[in-house]
Amino acid sequence: MSSATWRGVFTYNKYAQITARAVRQSLNETERVAAEKRGTTALKYQKWENGVGGQQVLLIPEVDKTAA
Amino acid sequence: MSALRLLSSAARRAPPALALQRRGYAEVADKIKLSLVLPHQAIFTSADVVQVNITAASGDMGILANHVPSIEPLRPGVLEVIDSANSSKKWFVSGGFANVHPGNSLTINVVEAAPLEAFSPEAVRANLSEALKVVAGNGSEADKIEARIEADVYEALQHALGSK
Repeated sequence: MSSATWRGVFTYNKYAQITARAVRQSLNETERVAAEKRGTTALKYQKWENGVGGQQVLLIPEVDKTAA
Repeated sequence: MSALRLLSSAARRAPPALALQRRGYAEVADKIKLSLVLPHQAIFTSADVVQVNITAASGDMGILANHVPSIEPLRPGVLEVIDSANSSKKWFVSGGFANVHPGNSLTINVVEAAPLEAFSPEAVRANLSEALKVVAGNGSEADKIEARIEADVYEALQHALGSK
């Protein structure tokens, strides 16, 4: 909270997520694995028009797992 | 003798004082009900504790029984729960809110919390140096501010781990 300049750029939710991620990344190896799962978010949305659903889109595009 | 009797009967006739709720300072025996909750876990649920030390945005404070109702945003920092005269436990919390309710209860909502032993000082040091690099670099304003937020967390962690 000391660098309150984030208020002009981020919402409080985003700020809270940033600090939570920083805390998770500082845990011990064993704890970190369980904690990292808490940080992942997955959201799909779909736009509807005239009763017809559009394309289902992932909010955060999946990284291609097969890419080397 | 009769004067004494008169006095005591007069006292009995006087209306009893109403039980007003007076706010005083907490005695050592008074406890406050603490609920410390994370989105994924409830560390305390209405547990009686003596004192809770929090790092509020407006300054570090200790909350005892019968505290005035208030809402305090929390900085990333150490939260200490003193549950009886001699034992206390500490967690590092990432931030959230501490709400003192009327009726002597305290609810603390934080996003992430872990005991100090769960942290790795090497990871904190590495993360801090990376974050400071981004702050001093030439990325976008948002990236720099994000890195500055992270650096604040890591610095607070280092301080907490260094002076347990």
